[in-house]
Amino acid sequence: MKFCVCIKQVPDVSAPIQIRGGELVMDAGRMVLNAYDASAVEEALVLTDAHGGEVDVVLIGPERAAETVRKALAMGAARGTHLVVPDDAELDSSAVSELLARHFEGHDYDVIATGKQAQDTDAGLAGGMLAERLGLPYATNAVGLAVEDGTLVVTRQGDAGQEIIALPTPCLVTCSNDMNDPRIPNLKGIMAAKKKVIETKPVEGLPAASVRVLRYEPMPTREPGQTIDGEPAEQAAEIVRRLHEASVI
Amino acid sequence: MPTILSTVVVQSGKSTRASFEVLTRCRQIADAQGWDLAAVILAPDAAAFADDAALYGAKTVYAVSHPLFESPLNTPVVDALAAVIEQVQPAVVAFPSSEGVKDVLGALAVRTGAAVLADVAEFDVKDGGVEALRPVMAAKFMARTRAEGSPVFVSVRSGSTPAEEAPVDADVQPVAFDAGTTAQTLREVAAATVGGAVDLSEALVVVAAGRGVKDDEAKRLVDELAAVTGAAIGASRAVVETGMFPATAQIGQTGKVVSPDLYFAVGISGAVQHVAGMTNSRIIVAINKDPDAPIFDVATYGLVGDLYTILPALIAELKKANAAA
Ligand SMILES: Cc1cc2nc3c(=O)[nH]c(=O)nc-3n(C[C@H](O)[C@H](O)[C@H](O)COP(=O)(O)OP(=O)(O)OC[C@H]3O[C@@H](n4cnc5c(N)ncnc54)[C@H](O)[C@@H]3O)c2cc1C
Ligand SMILES: Nc1ncnc2c1ncn2[C@@H]1O[C@H](COP(=O)(O)O)[C@@H](O)[C@H]1O
Repeated sequence: MKFCVCIKQVPDVSAPIQIRGGELVMDAGRMVLNAYDASAVEEALVLTDAHGGEVDVVLIGPERAAETVRKALAMGAARGTHLVVPDDAELDSSAVSELLARHFEGHDYDVIATGKQAQDTDAGLAGGMLAERLGLPYATNAVGLAVEDGTLVVTRQGDAGQEIIALPTPCLVTCSNDMNDPRIPNLKGIMAAKKKVIETKPVEGLPAASVRVLRYEPMPTREPGQTIDGEPAEQAAEIVRRLHEASVI
Repeated sequence: MPTILSTVVVQSGKSTRASFEVLTRCRQIADAQGWDLAAVILAPDAAAFADDAALYGAKTVYAVSHPLFESPLNTPVVDALAAVIEQVQPAVVAFPSSEGVKDVLGALAVRTGAAVLADVAEFDVKDGGVEALRPVMAAKFMARTRAEGSPVFVSVRSGSTPAEEAPVDADVQPVAFDAGTTAQTLREVAAATVGGAVDLSEALVVVAAGRGVKDDEAKRLVDELAAVTGAAIGASRAVVETGMFPATAQIGQTGKVVSPDLYFAVGISGAVQHVAGMTNSRIIVAINKDPDAPIFDVATYGLVGDLYTILPALIAELKKANAAA
């Protein structure tokens, strides 16, 4: 089966980030492959290893995001496409899905995979939007994938439990990081990736975003808490008294 | 007069609490703007839930009934909601941010030409658009975000507005729905095997376990604490990864957002990705042996110590209190 995974470069949220004048200020060097997309790449690699086929990746982002395409190639993806835009933070999920839909015209992948959400914005929209634009059946929040003669079997995490849904190909699936532990590229993979081709295409005609960030603000803080000291029995008696007072037990 | 359309999600035969929170917020906005408040319900017998929507102020209730809405397939849901939106032409459509809603929001937005604000903590109608606060960067910051479009979709995190009744006599409008074909087939629905019979997103008390819950003994203590408090059981990603708790129990950025009155964090360090899913809880009790664990920064009450000794004492004390009540 032929897979294509849509990957995004995102800031490393564990790096220090500050707000200045309503803007986020962070170390531009600390960018990573979106964790959910890494899981999608991993699962696609495992399935194509087992059943044959290849994994391609596509990314929309500025020049410096090429390193993230390279990372997916080092994990084992065959080919990468880098659609270059000055700053993908200006694009909302709808604009991203429109550009991706343009990219997929003229390709015949069996499965398009995305992350269930981008780790920085947590929008979780581009996958479903892309499926609708391409007219593909889709499933979201996959925690497991299997291939059975021409069918993609998706185990998805729903509200109350897991649902197993079969999709005929071509189809689209959005992936959770609960699906697997993505491999860390080894030296062989990194060397091999240097020889792989990244097709770089500047994007003409950016779609307008209908959603934009006006400014960033700190999270509302909670009331400062209290430590309850003492031996376990004393701590227990005191906390139960307080919870009773608050009528929550 | 513009309409704000609020979606009521029915789960296990009940309208969810999160749906009432969203309805409440929509009613506040409708009152302030002089708009009409309507609700839409998709269920095998949708009209049976119309009274719920009316109790929270929906003057018109669009009830779409079809046996297919029992199943989790997204095609019929997108088709039905698109048809209602086409008929009603709302200015704003609001949804509780459940997994079922997340499953259809993107496709539905493209189908209906909507602009979407997903997973917001609060929202309002302003100068012909919708403005919202959205947690971003693993909920380290809020992004004040604006959407313009017709309609604008907003999905709302649980615990954003306290649900407040405002009963009206609703006009219930059944909407005919012809299910088209779908390429998807449902193989199986595997209900969660979490201990605790209470649905996590709806629970008023949650006991959440983390990596400090290492073995069967600790897990039994967590089960027992949940049983004496009538709690649903949640988990951090660490113990979902090990398979000790099912993914359905996961709370946080990847998992669910919960907003109970009382949240016990047992052996959880308080990573941003976990805290992202629980800071809307009213009272947070953290039990952790590391006094520097970041969970204490968000806790209302911190109990520093070993969960193997604190939980038995706590369970004993709660049993005493229950017996006295
Ligand atoms: C993209 C992404 C999404 C994520 N989504 C989520 C999510 O949805 N939910 C989530 O939870 N995590 C999520 N994570 C993972 C998150 O970053 C943390 O790794 C995880 O929350 C840690 O779980 P923990 O607190 O149980 O484990 P740890 O961080 O290992 O903490 C264990 C705690 O238990 C305490 N402890 C140990 N023994 C005892 C004892 N005997 N008594 C008392 N205390 C004890 C320790 O002091 C420690 O603080 C995500 C990560 C990423 C990258
Ligand atoms: N700039 C991008 N380039 C390629 N894929 C993207 C981009 N942004 C988002 N995606 C894909 O869409 C998914 C959902 O993104 P979002 O709707 O922004 O949360 C991500 O996990 C990616 O798979």
